[in-house]
Amino acid sequence: MPLAAESSAVYIQNTAPGFISTPGRAPTSVTVHPVALFSILDHYLRRTESQERVIGTLLGKRSDNGEVEVRSSFAVLHSETEEQVAVDMDYLKTMYDLHHKVNPKEVIVGWYSTGSNLNTYSALIHNFYSQEAAPHQVVHLAVNTGIVEGEKAGVKAYVGSPVGVYPKPENCVFAPIPCELRFHDAERSGLDLLTTTSVALNSTTPHPVTDLEVLEQSLKSVAEMLDRVLSYVQSVLAGEVKGDAAVGRYLMDRLGASTEDLEKGGFNSSLQVRNHEARMISSVAHLYSLQDTLMVSYLASLVRSQAEVSARLALVTST
Amino acid sequence: MAAATSMAAALAASLPAPSSAPAPAAPTYEAIPASMSKVIDLEGEIPLNSVQLDGLVVSKIIKHSRDAQGSTTHGLVLGIDLDGTLEVSNSFPMPNHSPDDDDKSAKGITRYQASMLRSLKDVQADDSIVGFYQAMTLGSFFNQTLIETQAIHQEKLRHGGVVIVHDMSQTARGNASFRAFRLTRAFLDALKRNNFSATSLIDHRLTFSSILEELPVKIRTNALLSSFLGTLTEPSAPSVAGGHPSAASSSAALPPSFSTLNLGTASVARNLEHIIEAVDAYKTEEGNLAYLHRQIAREKQKADAYVNKRKEENAARVAQGLAPLPEENVNRLFKIPPEPSRLESMLLLGRIDAYSKALAETSSTGLVKMYAAKTNSGV
Repeated sequence: MPLAAESSAVYIQNTAPGFISTPGRAPTSVTVHPVALFSILDHYLRRTESQERVIGTLLGKRSDNGEVEVRSSFAVLHSETEEQVAVDMDYLKTMYDLHHKVNPKEVIVGWYSTGSNLNTYSALIHNFYSQEAAPHQVVHLAVNTGIVEGEKAGVKAYVGSPVGVYPKPENCVFAPIPCELRFHDAERSGLDLLTTTSVALNSTTPHPVTDLEVLEQSLKSVAEMLDRVLSYVQSVLAGEVKGDAAVGRYLMDRLGASTEDLEKGGFNSSLQVRNHEARMISSVAHLYSLQDTLMVSYLASLVRSQAEVSARLALVTST
Repeated sequence: MAAATSMAAALAASLPAPSSAPAPAAPTYEAIPASMSKVIDLEGEIPLNSVQLDGLVVSKIIKHSRDAQGSTTHGLVLGIDLDGTLEVSNSFPMPNHSPDDDDKSAKGITRYQASMLRSLKDVQADDSIVGFYQAMTLGSFFNQTLIETQAIHQEKLRHGGVVIVHDMSQTARGNASFRAFRLTRAFLDALKRNNFSATSLIDHRLTFSSILEELPVKIRTNALLSSFLGTLTEPSAPSVAGGHPSAASSSAALPPSFSTLNLGTASVARNLEHIIEAVDAYKTEEGNLAYLHRQIAREKQKADAYVNKRKEENAARVAQGLAPLPEENVNRLFKIPPEPSRLESMLLLGRIDAYSKALAETSSTGLVKMYAAKTNSGV
C-alpha cells in the first residue's frame, strides 16, 4: 500500500563504495506502522507557535533484505533559527531508554520531520542520527500533513548519502526510497474504526458496537457495491454507456468462478445431476453446521443463566 | 574541511542549550494550597459520564496488545476531564514486572513512569494520569490485579480514574472493541473493609455484574488525523485501463476490508475451552469454600457444646449450693476460622459470564453469516 502519490522519481540504490562501511545492506524500502504515523501527526498538532516543523525519532526493526520497518516514533525537542539547529540529545537518550524498557526489540532506525522541505539543517540532523544509529544507515521520513494548500498529504522516505569530494555533514543527497503503510491483519479493525470515525459527524462515534452491527454494515456495503455493479452492467447492456473492457475483465475474473458451474449445468444434463448432488451435500453440511451453531448459542445462554443464578443464590443461602 | 568542523562544532555547542536554559514557565507549576484546591478545581465536581478516546490512543493500545501477546498487557492513559467527559489523548505502555524482585522493580516502574510523564510534558503532551488500560481475550478481564490497581487509582486520581479494556480477540474478528469501567461504590466499600463474606455481599448487594460499572466510550479523531485518513482511504487515480485483472489491487493505501464477513469460526473451540477451564476453576473454588464452611460449622458446634456443657455444670453446682465455675472465653479455646472471602469465586463467575457472552455473540453473527452464505450458494 503506497503512502504517497506515485512520483516519477527513480529509486536509486545508493551504494557508495569506500564511503560508508555498512554491515548488512543499505535500506531499500520502508514500511510504516500506523501508530508511528499517528504519533507524528499528534506531535505536529501539539507544536508551539514558533515551530515550523517538528522532528522526532523513528523506532523499529531492520531486516536483512534492506527493509526498514518503522514501528513507533516519539517526539524530540529541537530548535531551528537562522544561524543554527539544535537537537536535545539528553531528551532523545532518555526517551529512547524508556521505550527500550518496554520494547527491547525496537531500535533507532531513523528520524521524521513534518513538511517536505529538505534543507541544510535536514542534512545536519540526518548526520547526527547516523552517528546515533551507527554502523547502520538511517532513514528519513518526510511527513506532509497536508495543511499547505495545493500539497497532498503523504509520506516520503529518504536515505542520505554524502556528496562532494570531501564529505561534509551539511552536504547530503536525500535519495528517495519506496515507503508503504503496513500493519498486522488483526489490527485492521482498529483502523476501520478510526476511518469510520473520521467521516462521522463531529469526528466522534459512540462505542462499543456489537459484532452484529459491524456485520450489518459490511453486508450493507457489499449489497450496495453489487447494486452499483449491476446498474452499470445493465446500463451497458441497454447501450446507454459504452462498456469499459477492463472493467468487464475484472468482473469476469471475480464472478466467473461462480457462473461457470451454472453454464455447465445448463448445457450438460449429466453434469447437472452431479451439480445437484453437490448442492445436496453442501446443504446437508450447512444443516449440520447450523445445528452446531445453534447448539453453541444455546450452550452459551445456558451457561450465562447458570452463572447469574449462582451469583444470586450466593446472596440468598445464608440469610 | 574547516567549514565542516566549525559547523559540527556549532552543532555540538548548541546541543545542550535547550536543556540548560532555565525554563521561564517553571514557577507557574506552584502547588495549589490544599485549602484552595476545592475552590479552583471546578471540573472536579462534575461527575464523569463518558470517556472519549483519541485515535492515537486506539492505535497505540492495539499495537501494544498485539506486540506483547501472551503476557499481560497494561499501560497508563493520559488526558483531561472536561465537562463530564474524560478526554483521553495519549497513553504509554508499562514494562512488565516480574513478581520476583518486587521491591526493586516497583521502584524502577515508579521512576519509569515519572520520567515518561516529564518527557511527555516537554513536548506539550498531556501529562496527567487518568487511568490505565488492559488487554483481554474473549471478553474476560476480571482478575484480582485489575481490581486492586483500579482500587488504588480510584483513591488517588481525580474522579477515580477509569480502566479501559481492549478485547484482542474481538478486534481480530473485525470489530475493534474498547470499553471503559470503574468500580462501583458498593464494591469499593466492601473492598475497603476487606470483607467479602456472604453477609457483606448481601449487605452490599454484590454480584459479579455489580463490581464494575461501565462508562460509555466515544472514539474521536482530530481534524488532522481525519483528513490524513481521508487521503489514505481515497483511491488514487484509476489506472485500470490495460491493467490485468489479477493485479486488481486497489490503489488506495487503505482499501476497504471485509474481514467481518469471514465465515471462520476458529475461535469457538478456544472459547469453549476457556469456559470449561473457568467452570472447573469455579468448581474448585466452591469446593474450597464449602470445606471452609464445614470447618467453621464444626468448630462452632464444638464451641456451642462446650458452652452448653459448662452451663449445665454450673446449673448443677448452683443446685448443690456451690459457687459456679467462671465462664471462660470460648473464642480463646476454640479457634473459629474467619469466614472465607467470596471475591475469587465472584470473579470467576464474572469470567464465565464474559466468556459465554462472547460465545453467544460469535454464534449469533455466525448464524447470520451462514444464512447469507446459504442464499449465495443456492442460486
